[in-house]
Amino acid sequence: MKPWGFFITMMDVQQDRGGIVRVNPSFFRKLRTDVIKDWDLYVMLIPGIIFLIIFKYTPMYGILIAFKDFNIFEGMSESPWVGLKHFERLFHSRDFAIVFRNTLLISIYKIVFLFPLPIIMAILLNEMKNMVFKRGIQTVVYLPHFLSWVIVSGLFIDILSTNGGIVNRIIVSLGGEPISFFMDKDWFRTVLVTSAGWKETGWSMIVYLAAIASIDPQLYEAAKIDGAGRFRQIWHITLPGMIPIILLMFILRLGNILEAGTEQILVMYNSIVYEVADVIGTYVYRMGLGQQDYSFSTAVGLFDSVVGFILIIGGNYLARKFLHRGIW
Amino acid sequence: MRKTLTILLLIVAMLAVTACGGSGGGNDKQGSGETAGPSTSDNNQSSKNDNNEKKDPLSGEKPVLRQLQPFDRFDPNAEFTAKFLEEKTGYKSVYEMLPEEMANEKLNLLMSNKEKYDILRLTKDQFFTLAEAGALEPLNDLIDQYGPNLKAGISEASWEAASIDGKIYAIPQAGTGNYASSSLVVRKDWLDELGLKLPTNLDELYDVLKAFKEKKKVIPLVWYGSVLQEIASAFGIYNSWDVVDGQLYHQSEHPRMKEYLAFMNKLYTEGLIDAEWPINTGTTAIEKFTSGKAAMMKLAWWSAPSVVGALERNFPDAELATLPFLKDENGKAGVGINTGITYFIAIPKWAPNKEHAMNYMNMKLEEDLFKELVIGQEGVHHKVEDGKYFPILPAFDDLNNASYFLTGVDERVYSTYWQARVRKDPILYNYFEELQTLAEGLFVEDPMSNAPPIQSISEHAQKLAKFSEDTYMRFIAGAESLDNFESYLAQWKADGGEQMVNDARAWFASK
Amino acid sequence: MRHKTSFADKLFVFSNYTFFVLLGILTIFPFLNLLAKSLSSEAAVISGQVHIIPVDLQFGTYKYVLQDRMFANAFKNSVIVTVCGTALSLFMTSLTAYPLSKPRLRGRKFFILIFVFTMLFSGGLIPTYLLIRNLHLINTLPVLFLPAMVSVFNMLVIKNYFEGLPDALEESAKMDGASNFRILFQIFLPLSLPVLATIALFYAVAFWNDYFMSMIYINSPELKPLQLYLKELLASANNVFLQLDKIDVDRAMNVSPQAIQAASIMVATVPILLVYPFLQKYFVKGVLLGSVKG
Repeated sequence: MKPWGFFITMMDVQQDRGGIVRVNPSFFRKLRTDVIKDWDLYVMLIPGIIFLIIFKYTPMYGILIAFKDFNIFEGMSESPWVGLKHFERLFHSRDFAIVFRNTLLISIYKIVFLFPLPIIMAILLNEMKNMVFKRGIQTVVYLPHFLSWVIVSGLFIDILSTNGGIVNRIIVSLGGEPISFFMDKDWFRTVLVTSAGWKETGWSMIVYLAAIASIDPQLYEAAKIDGAGRFRQIWHITLPGMIPIILLMFILRLGNILEAGTEQILVMYNSIVYEVADVIGTYVYRMGLGQQDYSFSTAVGLFDSVVGFILIIGGNYLARKFLHRGIW
Repeated sequence: MRKTLTILLLIVAMLAVTACGGSGGGNDKQGSGETAGPSTSDNNQSSKNDNNEKKDPLSGEKPVLRQLQPFDRFDPNAEFTAKFLEEKTGYKSVYEMLPEEMANEKLNLLMSNKEKYDILRLTKDQFFTLAEAGALEPLNDLIDQYGPNLKAGISEASWEAASIDGKIYAIPQAGTGNYASSSLVVRKDWLDELGLKLPTNLDELYDVLKAFKEKKKVIPLVWYGSVLQEIASAFGIYNSWDVVDGQLYHQSEHPRMKEYLAFMNKLYTEGLIDAEWPINTGTTAIEKFTSGKAAMMKLAWWSAPSVVGALERNFPDAELATLPFLKDENGKAGVGINTGITYFIAIPKWAPNKEHAMNYMNMKLEEDLFKELVIGQEGVHHKVEDGKYFPILPAFDDLNNASYFLTGVDERVYSTYWQARVRKDPILYNYFEELQTLAEGLFVEDPMSNAPPIQSISEHAQKLAKFSEDTYMRFIAGAESLDNFESYLAQWKADGGEQMVNDARAWFASK
Repeated sequence: MRHKTSFADKLFVFSNYTFFVLLGILTIFPFLNLLAKSLSSEAAVISGQVHIIPVDLQFGTYKYVLQDRMFANAFKNSVIVTVCGTALSLFMTSLTAYPLSKPRLRGRKFFILIFVFTMLFSGGLIPTYLLIRNLHLINTLPVLFLPAMVSVFNMLVIKNYFEGLPDALEESAKMDGASNFRILFQIFLPLSLPVLATIALFYAVAFWNDYFMSMIYINSPELKPLQLYLKELLASANNVFLQLDKIDVDRAMNVSPQAIQAASIMVATVPILLVYPFLQKYFVKGVLLGSVKG
C-alpha cells in the first residue's frame, strides 16, 4: 500500500470527476475505529512518547546554537544569529578536505572489515556443540569491550613496539625489517581498524547470537531430514533468520558514518600520522582547545547528524525497495 | 479490561515514584541558610533586625559556605583538614569538585546557571574566562574590610596578576616558591663503565649519547614532548615567553627555535634519542629507563622515589647521577621558571555569603592557624631543626591533602613550611635538594608569569601550543622538513599568534 | 560420499575450536595482564616487568582499594543506578517497542521516525543541562538513569524481534479475547527471552560504564558512581604533566601508583562481567518450540 502520508493510505483517497483528490469521507470514521479498536496499543505508547518529549524534544532548540555565536553566559536569547558562519568555517578550514577524506575512509574500512566479522563469528560459534566451551568463549571474547581505549592503546603500542614488541620480533625473525606501526602512514589505519575489531567484535556478536537462538529448531530438523549438510543449513536457515537484525544493524551503522572513532584515535594518534588519521572529531577537538566554542562544535555535530540521517533514510528506502523490509 | 487498567495505573505509579524520588534525593543544597558546626555563634540579634542600625554582615550565625574545587581523588568533606578548619574557624564548608575531564565545560555550565557557590578555586584559564564573562565579584572592598591577613601575606605582584583595570577579581595563590622541577639523569654506572664524565654542554652531551648508542647499544636518551627544557635551555629557550636582547618573544618565535629543532632532529636521525619519542608517554619512558633499555631520561623530583625504587629493584648495582644544567656556547646555563599564580580564589557575583567567605579566607591566613593548616602542630605533626621544618610520620600523612584547602597563602612563610612535605621521603628530599643546589643562581623567570588576563592569549594560547607541539614533533622526527619552518611560523602567526605577541608586548612595555 | 563429508566436517570442527581457542587467548591476555599488575609490586609494574604472572606478589593493592571509603561508596552508587536503571529501562523499552511492531498501528511510521530522529539529532549539553536543572535532578542519583529510560537503538532491536514472531500467536490470543496488554506481557515477553536478555545486558553495561552523565550532573563526591571515580583515578596519573605552565606539585606527589590503578580497574569491571554468563541461560534455542501448533 503506497503511503501518501503517515496516517493516510491510498485506499483513503479518491479522485472525483473534477480531478481533485479528496480524502474518502469514510477515512475519518475508519481512522477512529482503528484507533479505538487498538486503544491500548496507544496507551502503551504514551509513556515512551512522554519520555521522548520531555528528555529529547524540549532541549531540541539547542540545535539553533549552531546558527548563533553562542555565549554561555549570555544565554540563547542574547547570543546573536550568524547563519551559516560556523559551517563555512568548518568547510573552509585549511585541512578540512584531508580530514573529511580520512573520516570517510576510516569509517568505510571499519564497516567493510568489521561489520561482517561478528556475524561470521556468531555463526561459527553457534556451530559448537560443547556448551561449556561455547559459553566460556563467549564470555572471554567480549572482555576487551570493557577496557578503556587508554588501556587498549597502551597495549597495542607495547605489542607493536620497535623496541622488543612481539610483532616486530616475529617480523625480524622471519627476515623482515621492523615496522614502526604507530608512526607509519601506511600502517596506521590498519592498526586503528584491527584494534577496533579486537576490542568490539566479541561484544557486537551478542546481538547476533540472540538472533540465532531464536530461530526455530524445527527448521534445522527438517533440513537435516532432507539431507542438508552443515553449510547448507547455515546458508538456508541461519543466515536468512539473521537478515532482519543484520539489516537493522547495518542501517543504523550507516547513521554513524562520520564517526570514525574519535575517542580511539585521540588516544592512539600522533602528529606524525595526522595525514592519514586526523578525522573530523579529532580535528575539531584540536581547533577548539582552550576555547569553549559551543557554536562551532554544535555546527559540526549538526553536520554529522544531517549526513547520518540522510543515509539512514536512504538506506531504509533501499532496503524496503529491494528486500521488502526496513526499520519502518 | 480491569487488568489493563491495573497495568496502566502501575505504570503511572511507577513514573510518579521515580519522579518524586528524583526531586527528593541527593545533596541539592541551593542555599546556605543552614548553620552547623560546634561554634558558639548564636546571636539573637540576627532575628531582630533594627532597621535603623547598619547591620554588620558578619553578625549572626556563621553560614555554611559552599566551595567549588578542582578535581582530586579524595573526598574533601571527609578530610582531616576540613574538620580542622571547621573547628578552628567556626565555619563549615561544603566542598564540591569539578570533574577531571571537561572541567571548564562543567564550570561554565554551573556559572551560567548561577549556582550558589561562595568560593571558587580556579585555574588560570578558568579565572580568565569567568573574569571576562563578568561572573566574578570585584574584591577590593571586601579585602580592605575583612582581609587584612590576606593583604599582608600576599605580594603586590601577585595581586596584580589577579587584577583587571585595578579591580582585583581573585585572591592569588602563589605556588610553593621558586624551585627547579626536573633535570636529566643518567646511569652513572654505565658512564663509569665507558670512562665518561657528566656532560656540561651540548657537545659533551652529544658525545656521551653517541658512546651509549655505539658501545652500550641502549637508547641513549628517552622522554617525550617536543620541547625538552634541559636541552632547549642551551639555546636560550627557557620558558613559554623569553626576553632576548631586550625584546619579548613567544617561544614559537624565539630566534633560536629552528636551531634547537635542527639539533633535536639530528639526535633523532642518528638514533641518539628514542625512535619512539613521538609516541612515548611519561609512563612508557619511565618503563624503558627503569628496565635498563635507556641510559638517560628526564626526572622530575616528585617521581624520584618510584623511579629510583624501580631501578634498584631491577638493577641493584645501578647508580643515578644528575646532570648539571647544560651551558650554551657562552658558558651560560639557565633554568626557566614560571613564578606565576597556581590558583585563583574567586567569589562569584551572586554568592550568598561574600563577607563571610572573605572573613573565612582571612582567618585561614592568621599566623598560627595558617601554620597549623599547612604543617600541623609542632611536636605532633612536625618538628623544627635549624629553622627548617621536618615531618613526623605517620602523623604528617594526615596533612597530605592540606594544600587542597588553601585559599591563598602567606607568601612570606609558605615555601618554608611547604618544604616539610618534600622531606617526607628521603629519596625525594635528596633529589630535591640536589636539584636546587644545581639550579642555584640559574633561574630565568618567565616575564609573563604575572601578567593579568589578556584576551588574545587566553583565546589562542592552548590551541597554538598544541599546534606548535605537533609541528615540532614532525620536524624532529623528520616527518616534515625544517625548510617548512617559515611557513609553519606564518601559519602560527595567522592563527592568533601575532595577536598574542602584540598584546603581550604591549603589556610588557607598559610595566 | 558420506566418508568425504565426514572428514571435511571434522576438519571444520577442529579448525573452529582451534580458532576460538586462539581468539580466547588473544582477548583474555590484557585482563590477565591487568590482574597480574594489580598483584605485583609497584617497582615491577612501572619498569614493565609484569606480563601475565604477578611479580613480587602482594595483596596490599586490593586491601587499599576495598578499604577506600570513596571506592565502596562509588560502588554502591553504581549498583543502585544499574539495577534501577536496567529494570526501568527494560520495562519502558519493551512497552514502547510492542505497539511500534504492529503494522496495523495508525501513524506507526510517524512514531518510529520521531524516535529515530532523536538518535541522530540532539539539542546538546547546554539545553539538556537546563532541563535537568529545572527538573531538580542535578546532583541526584536518578539523573543517572531517568534520561536514559528508552534507548532508541535498544527499542528498535526489540521491535525487530517482535516483528519476527509469528502472527498466529497474536491471532489465537485475540480469538480468546485477550487485550493487547495481556498479549504483550503473557505471550510475547516470555517468548522474547534471548532479546530481552541481550537488551538487559546492553542497558546494564551502559549504566555501569557511564561516566559522562555523572561527570556533568554530579557535584558531590559521595554521589560519584564507580566508573567516574575510576576514570579520575587513572587520569590523574597521566595528566600531571600536561598543564601548560604551572604544575600543582602537591598533586603530582600524590599520584596513585600503577598497581593500585590496576586493582581498581579489576574491582570495578569484574562485577559487570559476571552479568553476561548469568544471562547466557536465556540464549537458549527453541524458545518458540511448541508455541505455535502446526
